[in-house]
Amino acid sequence: MSTLDFLFNGFAVAFQWQNILFAFVGVLIGTAVGVLPGIGPMSGVALLIPVTATLTSGMPTEAAAASSIILLAGVYYGAMYGGSTTSILLNTPGESSSVVTTLDGYQMAKQGRAGSALSIAAIGSFVAGIVSLIGLVLLAEPLSNVALKFGPAEYFSLMLLGLAAVSGLAGKSMTKALIMTIFGLLLATIGIDAVSGIARFTYDMPILYSGLEFLTIAVGLFALGEVFKTILERDKEDGAIAKIERILPTKQDLKDSTKPILRGSILGFFIGVLPGAGATLASFFSYIAEKKFSKHPEKFGTGAIEGVAGPESANNAASGGAMIPLLTLGIPGSGTTAILMGALIMYNIQPGPLLFDDHPEVAWGLIASMFIGNLMLLVLNMPLVKVFAKIIQTPKKYLLPIIVAISFFGVYAVQYTTFDLYLLLACGVIGYFLAKNDYPLAPLVLALVLGPMIENNMRRALTISNGEFSIFLTKPLSLVFILAAVAWLAIPLLLKLKGRNVIINDEE
Amino acid sequence: MSKTFDRFAGIAFLLIGLLFVIESRSISQSAYGSSVGPNIFPMVLGIILILLSIRLLFETMKYESVEGTKEPYQYVKFLIIFISAVVYAAVLEPVGYVISTFIFLVITFQTMERGKWLSTILIAGAFSFGIYYFFAEFLGGSLPGFPEF
Repeated sequence: MSTLDFLFNGFAVAFQWQNILFAFVGVLIGTAVGVLPGIGPMSGVALLIPVTATLTSGMPTEAAAASSIILLAGVYYGAMYGGSTTSILLNTPGESSSVVTTLDGYQMAKQGRAGSALSIAAIGSFVAGIVSLIGLVLLAEPLSNVALKFGPAEYFSLMLLGLAAVSGLAGKSMTKALIMTIFGLLLATIGIDAVSGIARFTYDMPILYSGLEFLTIAVGLFALGEVFKTILERDKEDGAIAKIERILPTKQDLKDSTKPILRGSILGFFIGVLPGAGATLASFFSYIAEKKFSKHPEKFGTGAIEGVAGPESANNAASGGAMIPLLTLGIPGSGTTAILMGALIMYNIQPGPLLFDDHPEVAWGLIASMFIGNLMLLVLNMPLVKVFAKIIQTPKKYLLPIIVAISFFGVYAVQYTTFDLYLLLACGVIGYFLAKNDYPLAPLVLALVLGPMIENNMRRALTISNGEFSIFLTKPLSLVFILAAVAWLAIPLLLKLKGRNVIINDEE
Repeated sequence: MSKTFDRFAGIAFLLIGLLFVIESRSISQSAYGSSVGPNIFPMVLGIILILLSIRLLFETMKYESVEGTKEPYQYVKFLIIFISAVVYAAVLEPVGYVISTFIFLVITFQTMERGKWLSTILIAGAFSFGIYYFFAEFLGGSLPGFPEF
C-alpha cells in the first residue's frame, strides 16, 4: 500500500465517532491547559493518562491505544494554541513556548488589537499544524524504513544523541543539565533488571520491583513543583486582562503575516524534528528570523503582527515535528513526547520503525486525527477566544488545590498505591527546588523513559560484539550518532568560551 | 540562583553517585543472557555522576553568588497545604476518595484565602463527588470511594 492509502485508512480511523469526540476533548482540554498558567502540556498530558485509560478500557487494545493517543496528542498541540492567549492578554505566557509572543502580542493588546493578535496566532498555528503534518506524512515512511536497518548499537548511539541534545540545550548550566540526565538514568535502573531478572537497588521492598513510575515523577516534578512555587512565592493577583474588541484580523494584518506564518511553520517543523530543540527554541528562532527579514525591524517590540505570527506558527509546527522522532524512531525528543511514549507503552505498543507496519491504525489514525484536531482548534479559537480568556480569571485559591487533587487522582488511579502519592509529593518539593536553582527537569524525565531502552540496547550490542565496546565506533551510523552527540555537547561549550551567548531551550 | 543550594546539591548528588557505585558492586554479576552483567550500567553512571558533582562543586566556587530580591515567602501557607497533602495521601485508602478529597480541598481553599465558606464547600463537594462518580461509577474505574465498614 502506498502512503496515500495508509493516510486514507488513517482518516477512516480518525472519523470514527468516538475518535472525533476524543480529538475534540483533547484539543479542548489542551487549549485550557495552554491558557492556565501552572499546568504545562507535560503535566496536562500526564494527568489525563488515567482518564483515557479508563475511557478506553472496553475497547480492543489497538483501537484503545489509537483513541488514547489521539486525545493525548490533542492536549499537546492544543496547548500550543492556548499558550498564546495569556501571552497576548496578560503579558504572562501560559507556556514557555509562548514567551516571545508577549513581546509584540501584549503591545498589540494595549493598542486595542488583541483580537487581531489572537486570531493571527490561531490562523498561524493552524497553517503550521497542517504544514508539519504534511512533513510528517512525507517523512514518516522513509525514516522508519531507514530505522528498520538499525541494530542495537545504532539505537544505543541514537538515544545517546537524543539525551545529549536535550542536555546540551537545556538550562543555563550544562553541568546541571548533565547531572539531571545521569540522575534520571540512575533512577531508571531501580527495579527488576529486564535482561537478567535480578532486582537492583530495591532493598527487598516489593513496591520498588517494578521501578519508579515515570508518570508519578513527571507529574510531581512539573505540576506539583509549579503549584508549590506559586503558593510560596506569588500572592499578588495578576494585572488586568486586555479587552478583546474585534476578532477578525484586518486585511493588512493578514497580508503582513502571511510570509511570517509560512516561514515560521517550515522553520518550526525542522527545529521540532531535532531532538532536544522543541517549541520554545523554534519560537525564539522564528522571532529573530522575522526581525532580520523585516523591512522595519524597529517596529518589533512595539506591536508588530509579524512578531506574533512567526513564533506562534513556529511553536505549533515544532510540536508536530516532534512527533516524527517519536513515531518513526521510537525516541522522544522532549518531555511531553516522552510522556506520550509512556502512554503508548502502557498499551503495549512500542513506538518506532515497526509501528507503521505493526500498528498502522495507531500511527496513521493519529496523523489523520491531527488534521481534524487542528481544524477544530481553529474553529474553537476564533469565535470562542473570549470564552477561553475567561478561564484565565479562575482564582488561584481554587485552582492550586484542585491541581493538587487532580494530580493525586491521576497518580492513584493508575498506580493504586499510597507509596506513589508520597513519591509524588516528594518529587513536587524536589522539583520546586531544582527548577528554582536552574536544574532543568525535562532531561531527567526523558532519561527516566529512555534509561531502560538505552541499557538494554547497550547490553545487546555488547553481547553481539562479545563485550567489545568498540562496536559503537566501528558501525558507521553509530559512529556518526556518537560524533553528533559529542558535537552537540562540545559546540555550546566552545561558543561559551568565546563569550558568545548561547540560546537555551527552556522547555517542559 | 543560590550558592548554598548548589553546594548542597553537589554534595547530595556526589553521595547518590557514590551510593549507586557501592551498591552496584553487591549486585550479582551473573551475565546470563548478556555478556555484561546488570551491575555495569549503574556503576558507570554512578561514576559519571560523581565526576559531574565534583565539577559542579568547583563551579560554585567560581561564580559570584547572585542574590535576587527577596520576596516574602508564604512558608506557613505552604506548610499547612503540604502537611494536609501528606495526611490526604495517608488517609485516602482507609477513609475513601470522596471524604478525604472533600476535607483536603476545604482545608486548602480556606488556607489560600479565608472566608467564602459557601463556595468553598460547593466547589470541594462538586469536585470530590463529581470525580468519584464520573470515574468510578460512570467509567467503571477503580477508586476506593467510601470508608469500608
